[in-house]
Amino acid sequence: MKKWAWKKILFLSAMMLASLVAVEPGHSQTWASVKEAFGKIRSIRAEFLQERHLRILNHPLISEGRFFYLASGSLRWEYLSQLQSVMLQKGDRIRLYHFSDGAWKQDMTQGVEARRMVLAEMSQWFQGRFEESKSFSLSYSQGPPGRIHLIPKEGIDRFILGIEIVLSDKPGVIDRVEILEPDGSGMGIKFRQVEINSSLPVELFEEP
Amino acid sequence: MGWKGKAGFIAVLVLCAGCLPVPETDLMPGAPEDLQLCFALFPSGPWECIHKIEARIHEGASFTLLGITRGDPARPNLHTVLLTPEGFILFEAEQLGDRVSVLKAVAPFDAPVFASGLMEDVHLLFLSPRGRPSKWGRRADGALLCEWANPNGSRTEVVDSTTRRISLRDRQGDLAREAVLRPPFVQRLASEIDLRAWKPAPYRLKMTLLPGGS
Repeated sequence: MKKWAWKKILFLSAMMLASLVAVEPGHSQTWASVKEAFGKIRSIRAEFLQERHLRILNHPLISEGRFFYLASGSLRWEYLSQLQSVMLQKGDRIRLYHFSDGAWKQDMTQGVEARRMVLAEMSQWFQGRFEESKSFSLSYSQGPPGRIHLIPKEGIDRFILGIEIVLSDKPGVIDRVEILEPDGSGMGIKFRQVEINSSLPVELFEEP
Repeated sequence: MGWKGKAGFIAVLVLCAGCLPVPETDLMPGAPEDLQLCFALFPSGPWECIHKIEARIHEGASFTLLGITRGDPARPNLHTVLLTPEGFILFEAEQLGDRVSVLKAVAPFDAPVFASGLMEDVHLLFLSPRGRPSKWGRRADGALLCEWANPNGSRTEVVDSTTRRISLRDRQGDLAREAVLRPPFVQRLASEIDLRAWKPAPYRLKMTLLPGGS
């Protein structure tokens, strides 16, 4: 066998060993246990860091925010930087606000419809109802960490190549979401300070 | 006339005020260095910037977007992306010379008139008009004034004082766009821009420069 082939085998063996070491901490979650854990979620409170990668930009656009979620059908998705804005969902009602000149102002309704599908998808993710998506089919790799791959159906694939939801070690908690777009652009959302099933005041979902 | 009628009449007067031709400004003849300053009013070299954009289509109705623009005056080209605060792309277009290519557009940003109008606004704010100014000099208050006669018959006027004002008048002399650019200027990019449009449709954009561009 030629010398370069041995080098290749040695390199691949080293890579395999490295990957085994990398997966040693944590524990794998079966799909059934993942679904069961998500099914027990009643509320979520978390902060997030969003990195938006765009072909036009040399560096990602960084935004920070927080979100609050009630499994009964309420979501508050709020950006604290770079723009200060908030999306409020209560049942089917969605409202958008931005902070300008010292006050919250409600966005025009045209922007709501564009976000309705996104909010519907996100609500399904937080409840672990990935299989109910009309826009994506899914596959699951047990990990650790567990990864849910959402593959866009026809039509959506013009905008999104795929979504990967990486699960935390903590059952029912999403660690990060990675969205890949066709032109090499993409978005990563990393969640932190995640609190599950704490009591959330109802006003959070009603007023900016 | 009821209060609604009066309010409508006043609104028409206010809107039409923007359409009135303005008298010629008295101008001290410009020195050669003033001509150089006319070009120095616009960003030079390849640049990129990120703006918070608050758009007001009519009174009381507004929405915010993120706008990212890259430009290179040497080619000249522009590349613009509009995003929702959540980072979803609503519109993306490139302009090389006169040719505008829309790369992505979702409703209601997919109308052809929107693409051409947006790129015209971006060009007005960030790229020097083509060629040499047809007129330049100093006003009585010391402000630098540069005016370009555009090939389509419109005129672009820039007045540089404590703030910078860019106006676009159509071939009839009516004010179509006016932008007030406020300091501090970072690599010749204004920290705040207030753009008002009257023709063909009225709207107002308040743009705030965000960190992250170059």
